[in-house]
Amino acid sequence: MKYIILVFFIFIIYSLGSALYYMMKDGDGSRRMVKALTMRISLSILLFIFVIFAFWMGWIQPTGVT
Amino acid sequence: MQSNNQYFVPHGSYWPIVGSVGMASLLGGFASSLHGNVLGTGLMVLGLVIIIFMVFGWMGQVVLESESGIYNKQVDRSFRMGMGWFIFSEVMFFAAFFGALWYARNLAVPWLGGEGNNFFTGQVLWPDFKAVWPLIQVPDVSKYTVPKGIIHAWEIPAINTLALLTSGATLTWAHWALLNNKRNQIIAGLIATIVLGVIFLALQVAEYGEAYQHLDLKLTSGIYGSTFFMLTGFHGLHVTLGTIMLIVILMRVIRGHFNPENHFGFEGVAWYWHFVDVVWLGLFIFVYWL
Amino acid sequence: MATTTSDVQIDIDAHDEHHHGPDKGLMRWVKTTNHKDIGTLYLWFAFTMLLIGGAMAMVIRAELFQPGLQLVEPQFFNQMTTLHGLIMVFGAIMPAFVGLANWQIPLMIGAPDMALPRMNNWSFWILPFAGAMLLSTLFMEGGGPAFGWTFYAPLSTTFAPDSTDFFIFAIHMLGFSSIMGAINIIATVMNMRAPDMKLMDMPLFVWTWLITAFLLIAAMPVLAGAVTMMLTDRNFGTSFFDAAGGGDPVMFQHIFWFFGHPEVYIMILPAFGVVSQIIPTFARKPLFGYSSMVYATASIALLSFVVWAHHMFLTGMPIAGQMYFMYATIMISVPTGVKVFNWVTTMWRGSMTFETPMLWAVAFVILFTIGGFSGLMLGVAPVDIQYHDTYFVVAHFHYVLVTGALFSIIAAVFYWLPKWCGRMYNEKLAKIHFWWAVISVNVLFFPQHFLGLAGMPRRIPDYSTQFADFNMISSIGGFAFGASFLLLTYIIVNCIRNGEPVKDERVWESARGLEWTVATPAPYHTFNEPPKKAEILNESSHIGAH
Repeated sequence: MKYIILVFFIFIIYSLGSALYYMMKDGDGSRRMVKALTMRISLSILLFIFVIFAFWMGWIQPTGVT
Repeated sequence: MQSNNQYFVPHGSYWPIVGSVGMASLLGGFASSLHGNVLGTGLMVLGLVIIIFMVFGWMGQVVLESESGIYNKQVDRSFRMGMGWFIFSEVMFFAAFFGALWYARNLAVPWLGGEGNNFFTGQVLWPDFKAVWPLIQVPDVSKYTVPKGIIHAWEIPAINTLALLTSGATLTWAHWALLNNKRNQIIAGLIATIVLGVIFLALQVAEYGEAYQHLDLKLTSGIYGSTFFMLTGFHGLHVTLGTIMLIVILMRVIRGHFNPENHFGFEGVAWYWHFVDVVWLGLFIFVYWL
Repeated sequence: MATTTSDVQIDIDAHDEHHHGPDKGLMRWVKTTNHKDIGTLYLWFAFTMLLIGGAMAMVIRAELFQPGLQLVEPQFFNQMTTLHGLIMVFGAIMPAFVGLANWQIPLMIGAPDMALPRMNNWSFWILPFAGAMLLSTLFMEGGGPAFGWTFYAPLSTTFAPDSTDFFIFAIHMLGFSSIMGAINIIATVMNMRAPDMKLMDMPLFVWTWLITAFLLIAAMPVLAGAVTMMLTDRNFGTSFFDAAGGGDPVMFQHIFWFFGHPEVYIMILPAFGVVSQIIPTFARKPLFGYSSMVYATASIALLSFVVWAHHMFLTGMPIAGQMYFMYATIMISVPTGVKVFNWVTTMWRGSMTFETPMLWAVAFVILFTIGGFSGLMLGVAPVDIQYHDTYFVVAHFHYVLVTGALFSIIAAVFYWLPKWCGRMYNEKLAKIHFWWAVISVNVLFFPQHFLGLAGMPRRIPDYSTQFADFNMISSIGGFAFGASFLLLTYIIVNCIRNGEPVKDERVWESARGLEWTVATPAPYHTFNEPPKKAEILNESSHIGAH
């Protein structure tokens, strides 16, 4: 489970990074940046839902004092 | 005249020296106040005021210049690169604290518990110490506070994650609106983002209050408290800055600034907000879950 | 450059301002956004700090002239070693290279100025405040920082004087300045290059600075993080570096050296660039292996992020960690070897002449290589157990930083000063100064190798009598080297005020590069129109590109 979450996170960082790249590279009027950002927010929401789902299924536990 | 091709080089500026004076008095004042110097606190506040004055003055001048059209595409690219590399430096700053969290959790604490070739470290220093994470029972309980508990993922943190993720979505909605030139939708999206940012900050303050008053989870609660508060604290500072920048952008949109062809200010702030959002997601996952 | 409709409605004033000369009086320097003015400010600031840091070194060498406590208290001695290191690293070497970058990069890439001129001014004007804050610690109650320039915890947290908090904020400010300077350099190189100049047409000084700027942006924030943790450990009860709270003092060393190792390349890569400009000029041959130089620089930069713990072989790291860091470290000698090979091959069968800049550059190649070899010795984990924290380390890093970084800065100043001020320095005096400095610096630092191998620890005001002879020799060399800077000051000031005027744009017979196509002295504004493609190709073919 840890690894699925990590892979998700890496993809999020990748989409965020590519948005930065497009921001620097393309001038105004290009839509690549906003598309990358849309991708990054969608992935993030998906990850959040996945974490909740995984917890609900009992796959992961939050760190806490037992 | 070839002037339209020329790169805009301003002829002199007072703002940097104002900023330096402000920065020196802010930090010098802070350092003096840490050692009980009453004047230090005053100097610190003065420095902060000077810096705020400088930021608004400097940025105001840049906005005016931008709107008057003396910046060509090349100047615009310089600003974009400046912003991009500045964010990279921020990433590295957070990396230092995430690195400290990783090191403490995976190396320092287990070693104190006697793992690896450190059997005698545990025996000699604190024989009763047990390496667990989150670290509640610090090795030397006489020196640091022992918290009663920690903040659980399902309390405020989950709500906060939801708030920030939603704000990212509303901001993206405003971003698309800007590209499609739907002015009302930009304003609505920005207001929603700002409100969610403020909600996040308010909840964060409430969470800190809860930690300090009921859980005894403090900066002084050993390495768990240290990393927890420093990471979330610096993140909160960045959310605050991001919110202020979003408010400035909102004002500019209301005044009719930006259009689908010219809106770097918006893009820069939007990216900053997304960055802060991802840092939070990282915090949520690495501090509360993994 | 693209022209759009919005660009046409340009403010006429903005255009006129472009042809202004400098303002008059002091405010010219405070307000300036001109890369040449700011470069000058940086260089004078660095030179001032060099003299202050050098004075501290004189105190250190005077105390070590004989065994026993002679002149200063041990506590004060430690403050001197600490501040000498900090001032030389953050106040002298780094600002001097940024100053050179400010002057030269726009000239070398055919740009009208730096990309973000106002921020450029701020990068500089933070420095005097930060430097003053750092120096002010010496006059505070409890004295200045005395824990060495590496400020290891817990010396810098639990056991440090109150003034340490001022030191912390000075480091914050210096870091902020460096990051802004680096951002500016990247934006300038990537965005302001003459449109016809490709990346692989760029002079090596520009290349090395581009890569250095990347290192700065990646490394300085980590240092800011480290000092911030120190600040909260000292004042707000956190326990990052205290094992009693579950932290680890060794973690400080990891974070510090994650910054610190790239930092040493930040101080040497621009030096590589300078030498790669000077040697082809006076060997009258294109630089050998231009592209391999670029790739070697990039590999050194990348490797510099994965070798930091070779400074920490004695901290009880797991053996696997030691082995990894040892091999990774030794790997760096491959790209560095490529560079030394290329410099030597550039000189091979060249029609060499030895004007002062060339003398300094050749001295750099030889002496830096000695420093590189002693570094290789230190990188070997098992033998480092013997060398660690001895004078051998001191000798090593002074060979790479003084005869490396500082020599290249002096070489660069002699090389470009005629272009900057339109006057020639006194060649005879400059040569006397060179030989004086190069002999005395070796008398100063070479015996320290022997002291270190014999086991003399660094950062101590007193030592056992068997080290007396070499210490005395070293101190004599030190005083002579210190005095040589008085002559250097005279040579430079004399050049600026009364030097023989130079009219030739080229200055040096076979110098190539765009900076030699503008008038001498360089006008206040240059390259308002970018240079033409033919000119760029002509100038770059001689520096070895293509």
